[in-house]
Amino acid sequence: MEYIILSLVLLAIGVYGLVAKRNLLKVLMSVELIAVAASMNFIVFSSAVGDQLGQVFFMLALSVDTAMTAVVIALVLVAYREHGILDVWELSKLKEES
Amino acid sequence: MPIYDVVLAVALVFSAFFAIHIEETIYAVISFGVTLTLFSGLFFLLNAPFAAVFQLIVAVGAIAVFFLAGEMLTPKKKSSQKMKDKIIGLLIAAVLAVPPVISDLRVEVFSRPYNPAFASALWKFRVLDVIAQSVVILILAIGIVMILKIGGRK
Repeated sequence: MEYIILSLVLLAIGVYGLVAKRNLLKVLMSVELIAVAASMNFIVFSSAVGDQLGQVFFMLALSVDTAMTAVVIALVLVAYREHGILDVWELSKLKEES
Repeated sequence: MPIYDVVLAVALVFSAFFAIHIEETIYAVISFGVTLTLFSGLFFLLNAPFAAVFQLIVAVGAIAVFFLAGEMLTPKKKSSQKMKDKIIGLLIAAVLAVPPVISDLRVEVFSRPYNPAFASALWKFRVLDVIAQSVVILILAIGIVMILKIGGRK
């Protein structure tokens, strides 16, 4: 139960990063933090129950999360190369202009 | 209350907060690397060695990629973040670290009648998931290559 509080605190920090930060890399780190904090519950409950299936699910979740991070970093690099922008708000303005 | 758990939890909250709060990208990436590594230590303490090693491997890869991206994308200029902001960030992180400390981090372990081995759980029961995930990761890798190629042509 208490690890869930830790998970919630980390989730809150991730949400703070999503809301307050405009740098694309920071936003990506926030998403990663949220994903790991959520995935941590698999390990916590797996440990509590004494079953190793939670570790399996954690690995699958982390694999998808890592792949998503790779794709987003590639998109960030392309966005920076094309427009020289790392600011989320500036990127959203590009959409409005087009 | 196990002292290692509390220390790890507090360090985890602090490093996670600083990874998000610090403006200098390189320091933020370092702090984020510490966060992911501490996650691995926490998993070790939770009797999940496979997940801990997997998390450590992913942390190493993620940190390398974030370092490269951060170095490439960060303009070389002096930081404008004031000392006051950093101290406020430190105080907020300290406040956020209080709930894991005051709450007991023990995990009650009780046995279940069915407890498959890790390998059998992964390959016998979840083999379809594993194959599907592999296909998804392969498609994502192809997508990354295509995106980078299109970006390079333009």
